[in-house]
Amino acid sequence: MNNFNGVASTLKLEQTKLDIGIVALTDCAPLVMAKHLGLFEKWGLDVSLHTQPSWATMRDRLHANLLDAAQVLAPMPLSSSLGLNGAKCELITAFNLSMNGNGITLSKSIFEQIVALNDGTPPSFPLSSNWIAKLVKQRQSKGAEKLKFAAVYPFSCHFYQLRDWLAQADIDVDRDIDVVIVPPTNMTEALRNNEIDGFCVGTPWNAKAVRAGFGVTVITSCDIWDDAPEKVLAVTKKWQQNNPNTFLALMAAVQQACDWLLSTANRFETARILQEYLHEPLDVIAPSLIGSCLTIEGHSPREIPAYNRFVSDSANMPKKSQGQTLLNKMRNAGQLPHAFTDSDLNAVLNSVYRDDLYQQMQDIMTQYGEAKG
Amino acid sequence: MAVTKKPTPLLTVLIIDDDMDRAATFEDALLDTPYEVKHLAHTSASLLKEVEKTEPDIILIDIESPSRDTIESLSTISAYNPKPVVMFSEQDDPELMQQSIKAGVSAYVSGDANPERAKFILDVAVARFNDYQKLKSELNNAKRQLESRKWVDQAKALLIEKQNMTEQQAYSAIRKMAMDNGQKMEDVAKNLISMMQLINGGQS
Repeated sequence: MNNFNGVASTLKLEQTKLDIGIVALTDCAPLVMAKHLGLFEKWGLDVSLHTQPSWATMRDRLHANLLDAAQVLAPMPLSSSLGLNGAKCELITAFNLSMNGNGITLSKSIFEQIVALNDGTPPSFPLSSNWIAKLVKQRQSKGAEKLKFAAVYPFSCHFYQLRDWLAQADIDVDRDIDVVIVPPTNMTEALRNNEIDGFCVGTPWNAKAVRAGFGVTVITSCDIWDDAPEKVLAVTKKWQQNNPNTFLALMAAVQQACDWLLSTANRFETARILQEYLHEPLDVIAPSLIGSCLTIEGHSPREIPAYNRFVSDSANMPKKSQGQTLLNKMRNAGQLPHAFTDSDLNAVLNSVYRDDLYQQMQDIMTQYGEAKG
Repeated sequence: MAVTKKPTPLLTVLIIDDDMDRAATFEDALLDTPYEVKHLAHTSASLLKEVEKTEPDIILIDIESPSRDTIESLSTISAYNPKPVVMFSEQDDPELMQQSIKAGVSAYVSGDANPERAKFILDVAVARFNDYQKLKSELNNAKRQLESRKWVDQAKALLIEKQNMTEQQAYSAIRKMAMDNGQKMEDVAKNLISMMQLINGGQS
Protein backbone atom coordinates (compact mmCIF):
# COMPACT_ATOMS: atom_id res chain seq x y z
CA MET A 1 0.00 0.00 0.00
CA ASN A 2 3.00 2.27 0.26
CA ASN A 3 3.22 3.07 -3.43
CA PHE A 4 -0.27 4.37 -3.15
CA ASN A 5 -0.11 7.86 -1.76
CA GLY A 6 -0.06 9.67 -5.05
CA VAL A 7 -3.33 8.18 -6.24
CA ALA A 8 -5.37 11.34 -5.87
CA SER A 9 -3.00 13.37 -8.02
CA THR A 10 -2.28 10.77 -10.69
CA LEU A 11 -5.87 9.63 -11.10
CA LYS A 12 -7.05 13.21 -11.79
CA LEU A 13 -10.18 13.15 -9.68
CA GLU A 14 -12.80 15.59 -10.98
CA GLN A 15 -14.41 15.90 -7.55
CA THR A 16 -13.08 14.84 -4.14
CA LYS A 17 -15.89 15.78 -1.75
CA LEU A 18 -18.79 13.36 -2.10
CA ASP A 19 -22.19 13.04 -0.45
CA ILE A 20 -23.46 9.48 -0.47
CA GLY A 21 -26.89 8.28 0.63
CA ILE A 22 -27.28 5.12 2.70
CA VAL A 23 -30.19 3.36 4.38
CA ALA A 24 -30.12 1.90 7.88
CA LEU A 25 -29.74 -1.75 6.89
CA THR A 26 -26.92 -4.26 7.38
CA ASP A 27 -26.08 -4.02 3.71
CA CYS A 28 -24.89 -0.43 4.00
CA ALA A 29 -21.74 -2.10 5.43
CA PRO A 30 -19.50 -1.71 2.33
CA LEU A 31 -20.00 2.08 2.31
CA VAL A 32 -19.76 2.45 6.08
CA MET A 33 -16.62 0.30 6.29
CA ALA A 34 -14.96 2.05 3.32
CA LYS A 35 -15.27 5.20 5.39
CA HIS A 36 -14.23 3.71 8.73
CA LEU A 37 -11.25 1.87 7.29
CA GLY A 38 -10.01 5.04 5.59
CA LEU A 39 -10.41 3.48 2.13
CA PHE A 40 -12.19 6.48 0.64
CA GLU A 41 -9.41 8.67 1.93
CA LYS A 42 -6.82 6.37 0.43
CA TRP A 43 -8.40 6.87 -2.98
CA GLY A 44 -8.38 10.63 -2.47
CA LEU A 45 -12.05 10.99 -1.56
CA ASP A 46 -13.66 12.90 1.29
CA VAL A 47 -17.00 11.13 1.70
CA SER A 48 -19.94 12.10 3.90
CA LEU A 49 -22.55 9.40 4.43
CA HIS A 50 -26.16 10.53 4.82
CA THR A 51 -28.78 8.13 6.16
CA GLN A 52 -31.99 8.59 4.21
CA PRO A 53 -35.39 8.13 5.84
CA SER A 54 -37.16 6.55 2.87
CA TRP A 55 -36.44 5.18 -0.61
CA ALA A 56 -38.61 7.89 -2.15
CA THR A 57 -36.52 10.63 -0.57
CA MET A 58 -33.28 8.82 -1.47
CA ARG A 59 -34.47 8.65 -5.07
CA ASP A 60 -35.51 12.29 -5.25
CA ARG A 61 -32.23 13.49 -3.69
CA LEU A 62 -30.16 11.38 -6.08
CA HIS A 63 -32.17 12.61 -9.07
CA ALA A 64 -31.76 16.20 -7.87
CA ASN A 65 -27.96 15.86 -7.49
CA LEU A 66 -28.17 16.51 -3.75
CA LEU A 67 -26.47 13.12 -3.40
CA ASP A 68 -23.55 12.18 -5.63
CA ALA A 69 -24.08 8.44 -5.22
CA ALA A 70 -26.43 6.17 -3.33
CA GLN A 71 -27.01 2.69 -1.96
CA VAL A 72 -30.25 1.79 -3.72
CA LEU A 73 -32.54 -1.21 -4.21
CA ALA A 74 -31.35 -3.23 -7.19
CA PRO A 75 -34.49 -2.52 -9.29
CA MET A 76 -34.26 1.24 -8.71
CA PRO A 77 -31.82 2.24 -11.49
CA LEU A 78 -34.20 0.49 -13.90
CA SER A 79 -37.40 1.95 -12.48
CA SER A 80 -35.88 5.46 -12.44
CA SER A 81 -34.48 5.17 -15.96
CA LEU A 82 -37.84 3.94 -17.24
CA GLY A 83 -39.68 6.65 -15.31
CA LEU A 84 -41.85 4.06 -13.55
CA ASN A 85 -41.94 5.86 -10.21
CA GLY A 86 -41.14 9.44 -9.60
CA ALA A 87 -39.65 11.56 -12.33
CA LYS A 88 -37.78 9.81 -15.11
CA CYS A 89 -34.04 10.08 -14.52
CA GLU A 90 -31.29 8.06 -16.12
CA LEU A 91 -29.32 6.19 -13.45
CA ILE A 92 -26.44 3.79 -13.94
CA THR A 93 -24.80 1.15 -11.79
CA ALA A 94 -21.44 -0.52 -12.18
CA PHE A 95 -21.24 -2.13 -8.76
CA ASN A 96 -23.35 -4.65 -6.80
CA LEU A 97 -23.02 -3.67 -3.14
CA SER A 98 -24.65 -6.76 -1.67
CA MET A 99 -26.32 -10.05 -2.46
CA ASN A 100 -29.32 -11.59 -0.61
CA GLY A 101 -30.04 -10.23 2.87
CA ASN A 102 -33.84 -10.39 3.05
CA GLY A 103 -36.08 -12.62 5.09
CA ILE A 104 -39.77 -13.28 5.54
CA THR A 105 -41.11 -13.08 9.07
CA LEU A 106 -44.59 -14.12 10.20
CA SER A 107 -46.37 -12.83 13.27
CA LYS A 108 -46.27 -15.15 16.24
CA SER A 109 -50.03 -15.75 16.07
CA ILE A 110 -49.95 -16.68 12.38
CA PHE A 111 -47.07 -19.04 13.05
CA GLU A 112 -49.01 -20.63 15.92
CA GLN A 113 -51.93 -21.23 13.55
CA ILE A 114 -49.55 -23.08 11.24
CA VAL A 115 -48.18 -25.13 14.13
CA ALA A 116 -51.76 -26.05 15.06
CA LEU A 117 -52.44 -27.19 11.48
CA ASN A 118 -49.32 -29.36 11.75
CA ASP A 119 -50.62 -31.21 14.84
CA GLY A 120 -48.76 -28.99 17.26
CA THR A 121 -45.23 -29.34 15.88
CA PRO A 122 -43.45 -26.51 14.12
CA PRO A 123 -42.88 -27.37 10.43
CA SER A 124 -39.30 -27.30 9.19
CA PHE A 125 -37.56 -24.21 7.85
CA PRO A 126 -37.36 -22.87 5.22
CA LEU A 127 -41.13 -22.94 5.52
CA SER A 128 -43.10 -24.12 2.52
CA SER A 129 -45.62 -21.53 1.36
CA ASN A 130 -48.16 -24.36 1.18
CA TRP A 131 -48.83 -23.56 4.82
CA ILE A 132 -49.76 -20.03 3.87
CA ALA A 133 -52.01 -21.43 1.12
CA LYS A 134 -53.80 -23.50 3.78
CA LEU A 135 -54.37 -20.41 5.88
CA VAL A 136 -55.60 -18.51 2.82
CA LYS A 137 -58.14 -21.27 2.07
CA GLN A 138 -59.22 -21.43 5.70
CA ARG A 139 -59.87 -17.70 5.68
CA GLN A 140 -61.66 -17.78 2.36
CA SER A 141 -64.04 -20.50 3.54
CA LYS A 142 -64.77 -18.57 6.72
CA GLY A 143 -65.14 -15.32 4.80
CA ALA A 144 -62.46 -13.87 7.07
CA GLU A 145 -60.20 -10.96 6.18
CA LYS A 146 -57.32 -11.62 3.77
CA LEU A 147 -53.82 -12.15 5.14
CA LYS A 148 -51.84 -8.92 4.99
CA PHE A 149 -48.14 -8.89 4.17
CA ALA A 150 -45.78 -5.93 4.07
CA ALA A 151 -42.80 -5.16 1.87
CA VAL A 152 -40.60 -2.08 2.03
CA TYR A 153 -41.06 -0.68 -1.45
CA PRO A 154 -43.04 -1.54 -4.60
CA PHE A 155 -39.94 -1.74 -6.82
CA SER A 156 -37.89 -3.98 -4.56
CA CYS A 157 -36.52 -7.51 -4.44
CA HIS A 158 -38.46 -7.88 -1.18
CA PHE A 159 -41.76 -7.48 -2.99
CA TYR A 160 -40.73 -9.84 -5.82
CA GLN A 161 -39.36 -12.47 -3.39
CA LEU A 162 -42.57 -12.38 -1.40
CA ARG A 163 -44.55 -12.86 -4.61
CA ASP A 164 -42.31 -15.70 -5.81
CA TRP A 165 -42.46 -17.54 -2.50
CA LEU A 166 -46.26 -17.34 -2.36
CA ALA A 167 -46.55 -18.24 -6.04
CA GLN A 168 -44.81 -21.56 -5.26
CA ALA A 169 -48.07 -22.53 -3.54
CA ASP A 170 -50.20 -21.01 -6.32
CA ILE A 171 -51.18 -18.06 -4.17
CA ASP A 172 -52.16 -15.13 -6.36
CA VAL A 173 -50.70 -12.15 -4.54
CA ASP A 174 -53.01 -9.70 -6.27
CA ARG A 175 -56.15 -11.66 -5.44
CA ASP A 176 -55.60 -13.88 -2.38
CA ILE A 177 -53.71 -11.61 0.00
CA ASP A 178 -53.13 -7.90 0.66
CA VAL A 179 -49.71 -6.32 0.31
CA VAL A 180 -48.88 -3.00 1.94
CA ILE A 181 -45.72 -0.92 2.09
CA VAL A 182 -44.28 -0.27 5.55
CA PRO A 183 -40.83 1.21 6.31
CA PRO A 184 -38.38 -1.29 7.91
CA THR A 185 -38.19 0.67 11.15
CA ASN A 186 -41.96 0.28 11.67
CA MET A 187 -42.25 -3.41 10.72
CA THR A 188 -41.87 -4.89 14.18
CA GLU A 189 -44.46 -2.53 15.66
CA ALA A 190 -46.90 -3.22 12.84
CA LEU A 191 -46.48 -6.96 13.44
CA ARG A 192 -46.92 -6.57 17.17
CA ASN A 193 -50.14 -4.59 16.70
CA ASN A 194 -51.50 -7.24 14.28
CA GLU A 195 -51.75 -4.66 11.53
CA ILE A 196 -49.86 -7.07 9.29
CA ASP A 197 -49.48 -10.85 9.41
CA GLY A 198 -45.99 -11.01 7.97
CA PHE A 199 -43.34 -9.07 6.10
CA CYS A 200 -40.34 -9.32 3.83
CA VAL A 201 -37.56 -7.00 4.96
CA GLY A 202 -33.77 -6.69 4.89
CA THR A 203 -31.46 -7.52 7.78
CA PRO A 204 -31.34 -6.72 10.68
CA TRP A 205 -35.09 -6.05 10.89
CA ASN A 206 -36.12 -9.70 10.82
CA ALA A 207 -33.78 -10.39 13.74
CA LYS A 208 -35.31 -7.46 15.59
CA ALA A 209 -38.80 -8.97 15.34
CA VAL A 210 -37.53 -12.36 16.54
CA ARG A 211 -35.59 -10.84 19.46
CA ALA A 212 -38.65 -8.83 20.45
CA GLY A 213 -40.65 -12.08 20.47
CA PHE A 214 -43.35 -10.91 18.01
CA GLY A 215 -42.09 -12.61 14.90
CA VAL A 216 -40.83 -15.90 13.48
CA THR A 217 -38.46 -15.72 10.51
CA VAL A 218 -39.49 -18.65 8.34
CA ILE A 219 -37.42 -18.25 5.18
CA THR A 220 -34.60 -16.08 3.80
CA SER A 221 -34.21 -14.58 0.36
CA CYS A 222 -31.39 -17.04 -0.42
CA ASP A 223 -33.90 -19.88 0.02
CA ILE A 224 -36.15 -18.27 -2.60
CA TRP A 225 -33.64 -16.89 -5.15
CA ASP A 226 -30.10 -17.95 -5.95
CA ASP A 227 -27.49 -15.31 -5.10
CA ALA A 228 -29.15 -12.13 -6.32
CA PRO A 229 -28.00 -8.50 -6.15
CA GLU A 230 -29.93 -6.72 -3.41
CA LYS A 231 -28.42 -3.22 -3.24
CA VAL A 232 -26.38 -1.52 -5.92
CA LEU A 233 -24.26 1.62 -5.99
CA ALA A 234 -26.06 4.07 -8.25
CA VAL A 235 -25.19 7.46 -9.72
CA THR A 236 -26.94 9.48 -12.39
CA LYS A 237 -25.69 8.94 -15.91
CA LYS A 238 -24.86 12.63 -16.08
CA TRP A 239 -22.83 12.53 -12.87
CA GLN A 240 -20.73 9.65 -14.18
CA GLN A 241 -20.11 11.50 -17.43
CA ASN A 242 -18.90 14.54 -15.49
CA ASN A 243 -16.88 12.54 -12.95
CA PRO A 244 -15.54 9.42 -14.70
CA ASN A 245 -12.34 9.10 -12.62
CA THR A 246 -14.00 9.94 -9.33
CA PHE A 247 -16.53 7.21 -10.01
CA LEU A 248 -13.73 4.67 -10.58
CA ALA A 249 -11.94 5.73 -7.37
CA LEU A 250 -15.22 5.50 -5.45
CA MET A 251 -15.85 1.97 -6.69
CA ALA A 252 -12.26 0.94 -5.99
CA ALA A 253 -12.59 2.00 -2.34
CA VAL A 254 -15.91 0.17 -1.99
CA GLN A 255 -14.47 -2.93 -3.68
CA GLN A 256 -11.69 -3.00 -1.09
CA ALA A 257 -14.27 -2.68 1.69
CA CYS A 258 -16.22 -5.63 0.20
CA ASP A 259 -13.03 -7.70 0.02
CA TRP A 260 -12.31 -6.84 3.64
CA LEU A 261 -15.84 -7.94 4.59
CA LEU A 262 -15.08 -11.44 3.34
CA SER A 263 -13.49 -12.39 6.66
CA THR A 264 -15.82 -13.47 9.47
CA ALA A 265 -13.52 -11.86 12.03
CA ASN A 266 -14.07 -8.52 10.28
CA ARG A 267 -17.82 -9.07 10.26
CA PHE A 268 -18.05 -8.78 14.01
CA GLU A 269 -16.13 -5.52 13.94
CA THR A 270 -18.55 -4.33 11.28
CA ALA A 271 -21.54 -5.17 13.47
CA ARG A 272 -20.02 -3.09 16.25
CA ILE A 273 -19.58 -0.06 13.99
CA LEU A 274 -23.03 -0.43 12.40
CA GLN A 275 -24.63 0.12 15.81
CA GLU A 276 -23.91 3.79 15.32
CA TYR A 277 -25.89 3.82 12.05
CA LEU A 278 -28.71 1.40 12.80
CA HIS A 279 -29.32 2.34 16.46
CA GLU A 280 -30.00 -1.29 17.35
CA PRO A 281 -28.13 -3.57 19.79
CA LEU A 282 -25.37 -5.92 18.73
CA ASP A 283 -27.49 -9.06 19.24
CA VAL A 284 -29.87 -7.76 16.54
CA ILE A 285 -27.22 -6.54 14.07
CA ALA A 286 -24.57 -9.24 14.30
CA PRO A 287 -26.40 -12.53 13.47
CA SER A 288 -26.95 -12.08 9.72
CA LEU A 289 -23.44 -10.67 9.30
CA ILE A 290 -21.98 -13.90 10.66
CA GLY A 291 -24.28 -16.09 8.57
CA SER A 292 -26.91 -16.81 11.17
CA CYS A 293 -30.66 -16.40 10.71
CA LEU A 294 -32.63 -16.11 13.95
CA THR A 295 -35.88 -18.04 13.60
CA ILE A 296 -37.90 -18.32 16.80
CA GLU A 297 -36.78 -16.58 19.98
CA GLY A 298 -35.19 -19.19 22.22
CA HIS A 299 -34.59 -21.69 19.37
CA SER A 300 -31.40 -22.41 17.43
CA PRO A 301 -30.77 -20.06 14.54
CA ARG A 302 -30.43 -21.40 10.98
CA GLU A 303 -27.01 -21.33 9.43
CA ILE A 304 -27.21 -19.22 6.25
CA PRO A 305 -23.63 -18.46 5.17
CA ALA A 306 -24.74 -16.29 2.22
CA TYR A 307 -27.28 -14.26 4.25
CA ASN A 308 -25.26 -11.05 3.83
CA ARG A 309 -22.88 -11.50 0.94
CA PHE A 310 -20.76 -8.55 -0.11
CA VAL A 311 -18.39 -10.25 -2.48
CA SER A 312 -17.87 -13.57 -4.24
CA ASP A 313 -16.51 -14.53 -7.66
CA SER A 314 -17.20 -11.40 -9.71
CA ALA A 315 -20.41 -10.87 -7.71
CA ASN A 316 -19.74 -7.15 -7.50
CA MET A 317 -19.83 -6.78 -11.27
CA PRO A 318 -23.40 -6.04 -12.31
CA LYS A 319 -24.64 -8.11 -15.23
CA LYS A 320 -27.32 -7.29 -17.78
CA SER A 321 -28.80 -10.72 -17.16
CA GLN A 322 -29.46 -9.64 -13.56
CA GLY A 323 -31.25 -6.57 -14.88
CA GLN A 324 -33.25 -8.71 -17.30
CA THR A 325 -34.37 -10.91 -14.39
CA LEU A 326 -35.54 -7.83 -12.51
CA LEU A 327 -37.45 -6.57 -15.55
CA ASN A 328 -39.19 -9.95 -15.75
CA LYS A 329 -40.15 -9.68 -12.08
CA MET A 330 -41.51 -6.18 -12.67
CA ARG A 331 -43.53 -7.44 -15.60
CA ASN A 332 -44.96 -10.31 -13.51
CA ALA A 333 -45.95 -7.85 -10.85
CA GLY A 334 -47.76 -5.73 -13.44
CA GLN A 335 -45.36 -2.83 -12.97
CA LEU A 336 -44.05 -2.66 -16.53
CA PRO A 337 -46.38 -0.92 -18.98
CA HIS A 338 -46.89 -2.85 -22.23
CA ALA A 339 -45.91 0.24 -24.18
CA PHE A 340 -42.24 -0.60 -23.63
CA THR A 341 -40.95 -2.68 -26.53
CA ASP A 342 -38.16 -5.23 -26.18
CA SER A 343 -35.82 -2.82 -27.88
CA ASP A 344 -36.77 -0.03 -25.41
CA LEU A 345 -35.98 -2.35 -22.53
CA ASN A 346 -32.75 -3.51 -24.08
CA ALA A 347 -31.64 0.06 -24.54
CA VAL A 348 -32.34 0.76 -20.87
CA LEU A 349 -30.46 -2.38 -19.77
CA ASN A 350 -27.45 -1.34 -21.83
CA SER A 351 -27.56 2.15 -20.43
CA VAL A 352 -28.02 1.13 -16.76
CA TYR A 353 -25.66 -1.87 -16.42
CA ARG A 354 -22.10 -0.66 -16.92
CA ASP A 355 -19.92 -3.73 -16.48
CA ASP A 356 -17.37 -1.88 -18.67
CA LEU A 357 -16.87 0.68 -15.89
CA TYR A 358 -16.50 -2.10 -13.32
CA GLN A 359 -13.78 -3.54 -15.54
CA GLN A 360 -12.06 -0.15 -15.80
CA MET A 361 -12.04 0.07 -12.01
CA GLN A 362 -10.43 -3.38 -11.78
CA ASP A 363 -7.76 -2.28 -14.27
CA ILE A 364 -7.00 0.77 -12.16
CA MET A 365 -6.69 -1.38 -9.05
CA THR A 366 -4.20 -3.62 -10.85
CA GLN A 367 -2.33 -0.55 -12.02
CA TYR A 368 -1.98 0.64 -8.43
CA GLY A 369 -1.08 -2.85 -7.23
CA GLU A 370 -4.30 -3.08 -5.26
CA ALA A 371 -6.02 -6.00 -6.92
CA LYS A 372 -6.99 -8.77 -4.55
CA GLY A 373 -5.39 -12.20 -4.40
CA MET B 1 -64.62 22.53 20.46
CA ALA B 2 -68.36 22.24 20.11
CA VAL B 3 -68.75 25.95 19.67
CA THR B 4 -66.26 26.25 16.82
CA LYS B 5 -68.16 27.01 13.70
CA LYS B 6 -66.74 25.08 10.79
CA PRO B 7 -67.70 26.02 7.27
CA THR B 8 -68.90 22.98 5.33
CA PRO B 9 -67.98 20.85 3.48
CA LEU B 10 -65.02 19.69 5.51
CA LEU B 11 -61.86 18.37 3.96
CA THR B 12 -59.87 16.10 6.24
CA VAL B 13 -56.12 16.71 6.45
CA LEU B 14 -53.99 13.94 7.96
CA ILE B 15 -50.72 15.36 9.31
CA ILE B 16 -47.89 12.85 9.70
CA ASP B 17 -45.18 14.63 11.63
CA ASP B 18 -43.05 14.04 14.72
CA ASP B 19 -42.67 17.74 15.29
CA MET B 20 -45.59 18.35 17.65
CA ASP B 21 -45.18 22.13 17.68
CA ARG B 22 -45.14 22.43 13.94
CA ALA B 23 -48.21 20.20 13.62
CA ALA B 24 -50.04 22.19 16.32
CA THR B 25 -49.23 25.51 14.67
CA PHE B 26 -50.54 24.21 11.40
CA GLU B 27 -53.67 22.87 13.04
CA ASP B 28 -54.36 26.22 14.71
CA ALA B 29 -53.90 28.04 11.45
CA LEU B 30 -56.61 25.87 9.92
CA LEU B 31 -59.29 26.58 12.53
CA ASP B 32 -62.33 28.23 10.94
CA THR B 33 -61.40 26.91 7.51
CA PRO B 34 -62.99 24.04 5.59
CA TYR B 35 -60.01 21.90 6.58
CA GLU B 36 -60.26 19.54 9.52
CA VAL B 37 -56.95 18.31 10.91
CA LYS B 38 -56.04 14.87 12.29
CA HIS B 39 -52.52 14.51 13.61
CA LEU B 40 -50.33 11.41 13.75
CA ALA B 41 -46.73 11.25 14.89
CA HIS B 42 -44.87 9.38 12.17
CA THR B 43 -43.14 6.94 14.50
CA SER B 44 -46.54 5.42 15.02
CA ALA B 45 -46.83 2.20 13.10
CA SER B 46 -50.58 2.47 12.74
CA LEU B 47 -50.38 4.79 9.75
CA LEU B 48 -52.19 2.45 7.37
CA LYS B 49 -55.00 1.86 9.83
CA GLU B 50 -55.25 5.59 10.37
CA VAL B 51 -55.43 6.28 6.65
CA GLU B 52 -58.16 3.64 6.29
CA LYS B 53 -60.10 5.07 9.21
CA THR B 54 -59.71 8.77 8.44
CA GLU B 55 -59.94 8.52 4.66
CA PRO B 56 -58.14 11.85 4.47
CA ASP B 57 -58.67 14.19 1.56
CA ILE B 58 -55.14 15.56 1.91
CA ILE B 59 -52.01 14.06 3.45
CA LEU B 60 -49.38 16.35 4.94
CA ILE B 61 -46.12 14.55 5.69
CA ASP B 62 -42.62 15.44 6.87
CA ILE B 63 -40.10 14.89 4.10
CA GLU B 64 -37.87 13.12 6.64
CA SER B 65 -40.56 10.63 7.57
CA PRO B 66 -39.85 6.97 6.73
CA SER B 67 -43.57 6.65 6.04
CA ARG B 68 -43.15 8.55 2.80
CA ASP B 69 -42.73 5.21 1.00
CA THR B 70 -46.02 4.00 2.46
CA ILE B 71 -47.85 7.13 1.34
CA GLU B 72 -46.30 7.03 -2.12
CA SER B 73 -47.22 3.37 -2.52
CA LEU B 74 -50.88 3.93 -1.68
CA SER B 75 -51.57 4.94 -5.25
CA THR B 76 -49.19 2.47 -6.94
CA ILE B 77 -49.76 -0.75 -5.04
CA SER B 78 -53.26 -0.61 -3.62
CA ALA B 79 -56.58 0.41 -5.00
CA TYR B 80 -56.50 3.45 -2.71
CA ASN B 81 -57.72 6.52 -4.47
CA PRO B 82 -54.77 8.90 -4.86
CA LYS B 83 -54.88 11.98 -2.67
CA PRO B 84 -52.95 15.24 -2.76
CA VAL B 85 -49.77 14.95 -0.70
CA VAL B 86 -48.17 18.04 0.78
CA MET B 87 -44.72 17.96 2.37
CA PHE B 88 -43.12 19.68 5.31
CA SER B 89 -39.49 20.48 4.62
CA GLU B 90 -37.11 22.25 7.01
CA GLN B 91 -34.57 22.99 4.33
CA ASP B 92 -35.66 25.12 1.46
CA ASP B 93 -34.30 23.01 -1.33
CA PRO B 94 -35.77 23.99 -4.70
CA GLU B 95 -34.09 21.09 -6.54
CA LEU B 96 -35.50 18.51 -4.18
CA MET B 97 -38.93 20.09 -4.22
CA GLN B 98 -38.93 20.06 -8.00
CA GLN B 99 -38.06 16.35 -8.05
CA SER B 100 -40.72 15.43 -5.50
CA ILE B 101 -43.32 17.48 -7.31
CA LYS B 102 -42.50 15.50 -10.45
CA ALA B 103 -42.98 12.41 -8.28
CA GLY B 104 -46.52 13.50 -7.44
CA VAL B 105 -46.16 15.72 -4.37
CA SER B 106 -48.62 18.58 -4.77
CA ALA B 107 -47.10 21.29 -2.58
CA TYR B 108 -44.49 22.14 0.01
CA VAL B 109 -44.59 23.82 3.37
CA SER B 110 -41.09 25.04 4.03
CA GLY B 111 -39.75 25.53 7.56
CA ASP B 112 -40.26 29.26 7.71
CA ALA B 113 -43.69 29.34 6.11
CA ASN B 114 -46.09 31.72 7.75
CA PRO B 115 -48.85 29.63 9.34
CA GLU B 116 -51.36 32.12 8.04
CA ARG B 117 -50.56 30.83 4.61
CA ALA B 118 -51.60 27.29 5.61
CA LYS B 119 -55.03 27.45 4.05
CA PHE B 120 -53.68 29.03 0.90
CA ILE B 121 -51.06 26.28 0.51
CA LEU B 122 -53.69 23.57 0.89
CA ASP B 123 -56.03 25.29 -1.55
CA VAL B 124 -53.24 25.42 -4.09
CA ALA B 125 -52.33 21.78 -3.42
CA VAL B 126 -55.88 20.60 -4.04
CA ALA B 127 -56.13 22.62 -7.24
CA ARG B 128 -52.73 21.43 -8.47
CA PHE B 129 -53.57 17.86 -7.65
CA ASN B 130 -56.82 17.96 -9.60
CA ASP B 131 -55.00 19.41 -12.59
CA TYR B 132 -52.29 16.78 -12.27
CA GLN B 133 -54.79 13.92 -12.11
CA LYS B 134 -56.62 15.28 -15.13
CA LEU B 135 -53.38 15.65 -17.05
CA LYS B 136 -52.27 12.17 -16.01
CA SER B 137 -55.46 10.53 -17.19
CA GLU B 138 -55.34 12.47 -20.46
CA LEU B 139 -51.76 11.39 -20.93
CA ASN B 140 -52.63 7.77 -20.17
CA ASN B 141 -55.46 7.88 -22.69
CA ALA B 142 -53.18 9.37 -25.31
CA LYS B 143 -50.53 6.74 -24.60
CA ARG B 144 -53.07 3.95 -24.85
CA GLN B 145 -54.37 5.26 -28.16
CA LEU B 146 -50.85 5.55 -29.48
CA GLU B 147 -50.02 2.04 -28.39
CA SER B 148 -53.18 0.66 -29.92
CA ARG B 149 -52.41 2.46 -33.20
CA LYS B 150 -48.90 1.02 -33.19
CA TRP B 151 -50.28 -2.54 -33.13
CA VAL B 152 -52.85 -1.83 -35.81
CA ASP B 153 -50.19 -0.22 -38.02
CA GLN B 154 -47.93 -3.21 -37.59
CA ALA B 155 -50.71 -5.66 -38.44
CA LYS B 156 -51.67 -3.54 -41.44
CA ALA B 157 -48.08 -3.56 -42.71
CA LEU B 158 -47.97 -7.34 -42.41
CA LEU B 159 -51.24 -7.78 -44.33
CA ILE B 160 -50.01 -5.44 -47.05
CA GLU B 161 -46.73 -7.32 -47.35
CA LYS B 162 -47.86 -10.92 -46.96
CA GLN B 163 -51.40 -10.81 -48.34
CA ASN B 164 -50.83 -8.21 -51.06
CA MET B 165 -53.61 -6.01 -49.72
CA THR B 166 -53.85 -2.28 -50.15
CA GLU B 167 -53.68 -0.19 -47.01
CA GLN B 168 -57.43 0.46 -47.14
CA GLN B 169 -58.18 -3.27 -47.55
CA ALA B 170 -55.89 -4.17 -44.66
CA TYR B 171 -57.55 -1.61 -42.40
CA SER B 172 -61.05 -2.76 -43.38
CA ALA B 173 -60.11 -6.38 -42.80
CA ILE B 174 -58.91 -5.67 -39.27
CA ARG B 175 -61.95 -3.55 -38.50
CA LYS B 176 -64.33 -6.19 -39.83
CA MET B 177 -62.69 -8.91 -37.75
CA ALA B 178 -62.94 -6.69 -34.68
CA MET B 179 -66.65 -6.01 -35.29
CA ASP B 180 -67.47 -9.64 -36.10
CA ASN B 181 -65.79 -10.92 -32.96
CA GLY B 182 -66.71 -8.07 -30.67
CA GLN B 183 -63.03 -7.40 -30.01
CA LYS B 184 -60.93 -4.26 -29.90
CA MET B 185 -58.97 -3.52 -33.08
CA GLU B 186 -55.83 -3.55 -30.97
CA ASP B 187 -56.51 -7.14 -29.84
CA VAL B 188 -57.31 -8.30 -33.35
CA ALA B 189 -54.07 -6.72 -34.54
CA LYS B 190 -52.08 -8.46 -31.82
CA ASN B 191 -53.61 -11.83 -32.69
CA LEU B 192 -52.95 -11.27 -36.38
CA ILE B 193 -49.33 -10.40 -35.74
CA SER B 194 -48.64 -13.42 -33.57
CA MET B 195 -50.44 -15.71 -36.06
CA MET B 196 -48.53 -14.34 -39.05
CA GLN B 197 -45.29 -14.64 -37.13
CA LEU B 198 -46.10 -18.27 -36.43
CA ILE B 199 -46.90 -18.95 -40.06
CA ASN B 200 -43.78 -17.19 -41.28
CA GLY B 201 -41.51 -19.02 -38.90
CA GLY B 202 -40.93 -16.15 -36.53
CA GLN B 203 -40.13 -13.67 -39.28
CA SER B 204 -42.31 -10.66 -39.60
